[in-house]
Amino acid sequence: MATQEALTKGLALPRLIAIVVILAMWQALALSGLLFRDVVPPLEALVVGFVGVLISPDFYANLAITFAELLAALAGGGLAGLVVGLCLGASRFASKAFEPWLGYLGPTPKIILFPLLILMFGVGVESKMAMGAVSCFFPIAISVAAGVRGVDPVLLKVGRSFRARLDQMLIKIYLPAMIAPLLNGARLGFGVALIGVLLAETKLSKQGLGFMVMDAYQRFDMPRMYGLLIVSVGIAAVVNIVLEHLAIQAGHKKPTKH
Amino acid sequence: MSAPLLSVDGVTRRFGPETCGVLAVDNMSFDVRQGEFVSIIGPSGCGKSTLFSMLGGLLPPTSGRIAVEGDVITGPHPAVGMVFQEESCLPWRSVIDNVAFPLELEGIGKSERHDRAQHFVELVGLHGFEKRHPAELSGGMRQRVCIARTLAAKPRLLLMDEPFAALDEQTRLLLGDKVLQIQQELHQTTLLITHSITEAVQLSDRILVMTYRPGRLKRIVEVHLPRPRNADVVTSPEFGATVAEIWSDLREEASRGMAASEVS
Ligand SMILES: Nc1ncnc2c1ncn2[C@@H]1O[C@H](COP(=O)(O)OP(=O)(O)OP(=O)(O)O)[C@@H](O)[C@H]1O
Ligand SMILES: [Mg+2]
Repeated sequence: MATQEALTKGLALPRLIAIVVILAMWQALALSGLLFRDVVPPLEALVVGFVGVLISPDFYANLAITFAELLAALAGGGLAGLVVGLCLGASRFASKAFEPWLGYLGPTPKIILFPLLILMFGVGVESKMAMGAVSCFFPIAISVAAGVRGVDPVLLKVGRSFRARLDQMLIKIYLPAMIAPLLNGARLGFGVALIGVLLAETKLSKQGLGFMVMDAYQRFDMPRMYGLLIVSVGIAAVVNIVLEHLAIQAGHKKPTKH
Repeated sequence: MSAPLLSVDGVTRRFGPETCGVLAVDNMSFDVRQGEFVSIIGPSGCGKSTLFSMLGGLLPPTSGRIAVEGDVITGPHPAVGMVFQEESCLPWRSVIDNVAFPLELEGIGKSERHDRAQHFVELVGLHGFEKRHPAELSGGMRQRVCIARTLAAKPRLLLMDEPFAALDEQTRLLLGDKVLQIQQELHQTTLLITHSITEAVQLSDRILVMTYRPGRLKRIVEVHLPRPRNADVVTSPEFGATVAEIWSDLREEASRGMAASEVS
């Protein structure tokens, strides 16, 4: 732990310098007049835009909608991914037969399905939820399947030898043994679900963060658009950091393998 | 003489097809009686773990029949407890929660199962380590956690597959002592699988010697050392004589095993 701390300490300064350099370059670019003033606004305009976003009630209403869509997407896509992943992980046959499909479909951009989802679920929040759910299904199913296969077989023998029921095997053996890959799947799933929901909101939509960004863009209100982008990226980053931290902590409790 | 607790009758296990597969266990028959300590000894790869899995009901025999307390087994039997060759502590559970695991599966409440588990934690000499996690313990301590966990389920027949194989010689001898002490305290009927001759002679009433490929029963050696025993029996002349007797049997099998592994 001590070495890790030292490492982080040594990293703080170069990171700070990099941020300052990037901001300085931005400001130089903004003041140079090489680009449209509104496309690369100076830092003070960005701060104004950022604060403006934070104090507008409109922003919180839309944030709540995006958040609700994201939660529904993660619940739906996550549950489906969990069930499919468990089945694929448990059956070597199912894995051989169907897992390549997940591998092929997983990385294709889901946005091409959006017209179809609009036809199925309408232009409201439902089609955005579906977009997020379809996006996060794949990485979650793939990590759950890999997690099931990664469970130490001797722990399964322990459970069976004590005559654990199926539900006990799932809750007391599989779940704790898979906590790290599960959290990792959640992190990947969160990332792509957020992309799916925001992207869907930028199309045919009247609410949500994605809509606000497009709206600000169409009004050419660049500081507001940048403010929204900064807030969105910040939220995504914070959630990612929390999930990664949880995954690392769960990983620490794992066996020191021999 | 009472009816055998475990009876193994013509048990065979083959991996792969009839013609070119591996015949891991070939037509083994033996009994274990109430209160006995029996060891099975054989060279590496002779089919000991395969036999162990079948006795525990985790692997069906290709043919033959295994009965525990008169029931032909078709899956894990409630009277049988298993300690595995591989490291098998649940790494996310503390020592006490590992030992209480089988009681938790039975639906026993937390305070009662901790009380009961505590007894077995102390029995294996891990008092003071209840709240530790397996990663914080030595290999020998982890193996003792697994033994305590299996004992906590109160098996009438304890099966152990090379529980000390991964440990150094001194730790093995001391743990052997612990097992002796536990066995004498609980009158625990035990079948121990091992490839250590000294361990087998130190602990057992009878020793079954297995052949290499196919795994068959070569012969049964009765150990007449007096009980109660402790680690000091290893110095008695009778101990030496029994070890020599088994070694002469095993040497042949072990060298066949070595030759086979050099070819492959
Ligand atoms: N699931 C399996 N599929 C195919 N072959 C197997 C399987 N399990 C065991 N075998 C083979 O059966 C033989 C006996 O294996 P087993 O693990 O029972 O030996 P062992 O006596 O326990 O060895 P060790 O002392 O090294 O633990 C070996 O040749 C092994 O390759
Ligand atoms: Mg083995």
